[in-house]
Amino acid sequence: MSQDCNDEWELSKENVQPLRQGRVMSTLQEALAQQQETSIHTTLQLKKQEFESEIRFYSGDDPLDVWDRYIKWTEQTFPQGGKEGNLAAVLERAVKALNEQQQYYRDPRYLNLWLKFGNCCNEPLDLYSYLHSQEIGTTLAQLYITWAEVLEARGNFKKADLIFQEGLQRKAEPLDKLQSHHRQFQTRVSRQTLLGLEETPDEKDVDLVGAEQPQRSSLAELKGRGKKKVRAPISRVGDALKATKKNGSFPAVTSQQLSNNPGFAVFDENAASGPELPVLTPQPWAAPPLPRAKENELSARSWNSGRRPHSSASSGVGVPCPLPTFTPYVEESAQQQVMTPCKIEPSVNRVLCTRKPEKEEDPLQRVQNHQQDTQEKKEVVMYCKEKVYAGVEEFSLEEIRAEIYRKKAKKQTEELMQAIAQKKEEIQRQIEELEKKLKKKEDDKQKQPHEQPTERTEASPPLGPEGFPFSSVTEAGEKLPQLQSEFQVSEDAQLRRPSCSEGTQSGNVFLDSEDEQEEKRDEATLGKKDVGLIPPPGSATFFSIFDESSTLTNQNISCSADNTQKSARRPLAVLKPSDPLTAKENIPPEACDELNTIEHLTEDAIVTGSYKNKTLCANPEDTCDFVRAAHLASTPFHGVVAQRVPAPAFSQSVLKEDCPESKSAPLNPEMTGCEGAYNEALCVNKLSPIMEASREDTRSSGSSVSSGSSLSSVTQISTIKYLHIPEKLELAQSLPAEMVTDSGGVDENITGDDVTQFLWSAEQRKKLLDPVPESLAASPDFHLETGALPVMKVEKDVELGNETYCIKGEYWTNEEYKMFFALPTNFLQLDAKGFAIKVYSQPVPWDFYITLQLQERLKADFDQSFSENCSCYLYQDGCAVLHRDINHLTLGDVIRGCKSITEEVILLVVYNLLGVVEKLHKAEIVHGDLNPEVFFLGDRICDPFTNNEISRALKIVDFSHSLDLRLQPRVSLPNSFPTSTTPHGQQLLAKSSLPYQVDLVGIADIVHLLLFGDHIQVYQEDSMWKISQNVSKTVDSDFWSKLFGRILNADGKSTVPLLRELREEISDMFDSCFQERLCESLTALGETSLLKNFL
Amino acid sequence: MAKQLGREQQGITLRGSAEIVAEFFSYGINSILYQRGIYPPETFTRVTKYGLTLLVTTDPELKNYLNNVVEQMKEWLDKCIVQRLVVVISSIENNEVLERWQFDIECDKTAKDESAPREKSQKAIQDEIRSVIRQITATVTFLPLLETTCAFDLLIYTDKDLAVPEKWEESGPQFIANSEEVRLRSFTTTIHKVNSMVSYKKDSFP
Repeated sequence: MSQDCNDEWELSKENVQPLRQGRVMSTLQEALAQQQETSIHTTLQLKKQEFESEIRFYSGDDPLDVWDRYIKWTEQTFPQGGKEGNLAAVLERAVKALNEQQQYYRDPRYLNLWLKFGNCCNEPLDLYSYLHSQEIGTTLAQLYITWAEVLEARGNFKKADLIFQEGLQRKAEPLDKLQSHHRQFQTRVSRQTLLGLEETPDEKDVDLVGAEQPQRSSLAELKGRGKKKVRAPISRVGDALKATKKNGSFPAVTSQQLSNNPGFAVFDENAASGPELPVLTPQPWAAPPLPRAKENELSARSWNSGRRPHSSASSGVGVPCPLPTFTPYVEESAQQQVMTPCKIEPSVNRVLCTRKPEKEEDPLQRVQNHQQDTQEKKEVVMYCKEKVYAGVEEFSLEEIRAEIYRKKAKKQTEELMQAIAQKKEEIQRQIEELEKKLKKKEDDKQKQPHEQPTERTEASPPLGPEGFPFSSVTEAGEKLPQLQSEFQVSEDAQLRRPSCSEGTQSGNVFLDSEDEQEEKRDEATLGKKDVGLIPPPGSATFFSIFDESSTLTNQNISCSADNTQKSARRPLAVLKPSDPLTAKENIPPEACDELNTIEHLTEDAIVTGSYKNKTLCANPEDTCDFVRAAHLASTPFHGVVAQRVPAPAFSQSVLKEDCPESKSAPLNPEMTGCEGAYNEALCVNKLSPIMEASREDTRSSGSSVSSGSSLSSVTQISTIKYLHIPEKLELAQSLPAEMVTDSGGVDENITGDDVTQFLWSAEQRKKLLDPVPESLAASPDFHLETGALPVMKVEKDVELGNETYCIKGEYWTNEEYKMFFALPTNFLQLDAKGFAIKVYSQPVPWDFYITLQLQERLKADFDQSFSENCSCYLYQDGCAVLHRDINHLTLGDVIRGCKSITEEVILLVVYNLLGVVEKLHKAEIVHGDLNPEVFFLGDRICDPFTNNEISRALKIVDFSHSLDLRLQPRVSLPNSFPTSTTPHGQQLLAKSSLPYQVDLVGIADIVHLLLFGDHIQVYQEDSMWKISQNVSKTVDSDFWSKLFGRILNADGKSTVPLLRELREEISDMFDSCFQERLCESLTALGETSLLKNFL
Repeated sequence: MAKQLGREQQGITLRGSAEIVAEFFSYGINSILYQRGIYPPETFTRVTKYGLTLLVTTDPELKNYLNNVVEQMKEWLDKCIVQRLVVVISSIENNEVLERWQFDIECDKTAKDESAPREKSQKAIQDEIRSVIRQITATVTFLPLLETTCAFDLLIYTDKDLAVPEKWEESGPQFIANSEEVRLRSFTTTIHKVNSMVSYKKDSFP
């Protein structure tokens, strides 16, 4: 066994670079094992990514720590070094990133970083002197030790000793280590000189013999070369070479020899004193070489000597002149130039030729250049460049954003958890209190036990404590999303405050420039706003930031409206005149903090999570961001002015100041008509994104102010996106209206009541299905059971057919219908998928009949949206329909369970919803009771591994209130459907409406629930039905308003084409990017619903 | 330590086994001393053994010391009372133990009473020993660099009832705090089984 795990490192020992600090065996084994399996590569990538992102988002005070760990990890994980680990690049980045961090200059880790970096440099000596001059690590012994080591290795003992002396003088820590190293160095040097002196002639001879043989440098290429005679290249190394050089003259290099050795440009440390020039000849030694024991060099074997005869031809040619000792640095650069003229055979592949040393930029030089750059740099980077390029790998802005988002989201969930915990505690306390009370009561009761039967007293107390917590818990659960949204709202409000205040700022400025009338009007509306915003969040800021600089800039704007030339002097100002909101950018660009705040703002806006996925501007609705983004991208930006001018309904004079006008327009009650037209005009030509932006722009500029107008709730433009308070006001306002309609609806109810009875009565259906249609009776899934319908209750087993099912939960129940979730008894674990059992207390297989009819009429269109696998058990006094493969969550669960459903999911759900209803209507079946509870989640949502093409997001199995219009053709009483008894249903559905209409109302309600979390509320304006909720704060608001507009005002039109059109419009929005986001959202949804399951 | 040719026919006896193991220790310790640079490399000379080129010290004092130890080992191996041999490499300056080469010896004590030799060819044993020595050489891939001058020490674990010989003294185990351990291959003569392991100071790397 021990052999097994040992194998790996031993087998690839040649591929492991030794580390000064040693290797961790487990990591080494892992790394080596991974070489074979590319699949595990991803884990490495992940880890790397982790480091990379940690570098970017490190918030502590020791950034070196991250780098230190990163580098150590890289060293350990990529034992063979090389490109994969890219240690050199990591080191370079680290050095750059931590450059001039004075606090680290005495940190051994920092010094180590530099020293490791030095190993990657062409000339570590330069680096050491650089460190020395910068006082980096000059208090640490390690610097001097490493420095001296390198010098010693190059033979410059004098300098090495000097370095040691310097270190000792500086009392570098740990001093004893330095001292001992110095001692050892001294002994080494002295021993070497001693040996050199004591060398006997005998030994010289031995050495001569050894040196006379051509030696190969270790690890040099051994591939045969030469055209006629293939021979392995021989390059002199070590003693032989030194001796050769002492000989004097350089060998006259013949071109033939050169062509024999095209591959010698490989840089070799050993060749520091000379290039690998072809010295094929054994040279007669003029002087004995210095004996040096080099344990790592094998002396050449005898088989080499076979080539001697050939090489003797060039014997007698001069040897390289001996270069002065102890100046390896100068020597090397001089040699490198000698090396380059090496002629490369034309046949040799250029791709494989060695890089020319000159071209290779020294990383050290790069770092120094970088330092200079940073010092001299004047340009201001307009994106978070330092984050993008912080690590070795480049991060995309999205990745950075995602990281920030994740952090925030985590914080939020934590907060949420805390809130839940608090809530729980509170509930616990309440329970205890109630228990106490109950006990007290119990005691009281026991005190007077006369008339009461004891059983009853015993029965009631347990009911209390059990019943209450349950309800309260659900209550809390329902409250939570609300709480969450409230929290978010306040955060939003806070976030937007700066920009809002800015808006008002500019508004105020315009007061100065406007005529008196305007001023009055503005003041009036501002006053109104104060009333409207019951507690204006941080209302003080709205006015306090009014400072001179902004006045100036805004004056600049109004001036430039007339005279653009003047403002053209400012590079950015040209864009401003039309747009008071961009006033904040008028503040000179040098004001970096201002820019920073913008950056934060946008990031925070993303982070709040309500506006995901938009990359350019944080919030697609927020045109301030959009405009800013345009600046940042420095595209030619003239859209706003150009597009605004053609807006009709504005006179010339208005045009001049069209911004203030458009801003104040919503405030002005007299202007509503005009403003509506303006708005409409904008809606019509919303072609370019900038156009769209400019429209939003108008809105957001008025956002802080227009709350006043929302009070009157006359126009739709009351688009208060960030201040949610007015929305609440709106709600409050619409309440009375609702009550009115409610009271109105009562009458209708009464009139419709008997019809309802008639329509849904079992008799009616019985009549319709009597005798049982053949198609029904012939179905293999139809079972006629003798006996009574078995009793079904939660947590009870029930036998249907030959299977026994355990009922796990109940979806809904009323006198006649019950819907259960069940699992086969042999599958006791609660799974996501199971069986839905629909129980009907009348012996009418209506659901099954509808399902069969659908199957028959839709044929190929009958898909996963319906129950493909159901069986019906008809008992004497009831009917049970068993639907297989049902996910146990319904759409209602999702709406209740999720704080916010992402846009993608909503679109998907609505898409499927429209599809289902379209199919129903195609089959001439009216569902009549569309609500989130009847839709089970389909595999598209619940099963992440499903095939996206065929799976559906929704599944409908319940047809309790459905009408088969083929069977019941003359029914045209939509009022009798459950949908039509809802407040909105009563409003929307006239008696004369077609029955199909009912389902449209149902759709509208579900979509509304998905979007806003509450039931739809409608009002009529210009004979058009509109919803009182503000659609514009949703993403894709255009689509939603269109959808509502069409669905609510579909009088008498055929529903199938309408639904198809809407559906196609959604499918146009599906693109690859959408799919990706959808996947993410679905996983997120899956997680939350899972969480819910556990709770 | 010339090969005893007769042994191949005879199989493995206790005495022969002790000799083989002791010989392994001799070469093993020499290899470690060379590989880890405890003594200057020029004081070593090459010999061919186990089909490998090994380096053994030429330093007379060291040679003498090692011979003594190996002789002693042989004696104890013969008696089957030795459990473990440890080569401890420690820094000269602060006596900190940096590396610890541990050879656990499992003696088959029943061999003492047996007269018949065991069946295992000399070659098979040599092959096993070779792979152990190869691994010792290969450990440079992961062992930390010994930056300071080091000394080595030999510890031998014996059965408890043994009287300490003249030239030996009792010692602690000299463990390394926070160490990384790597098991190497093992070999067996069927009478003595030697499990090798090296432990070294762990880096701060998590």
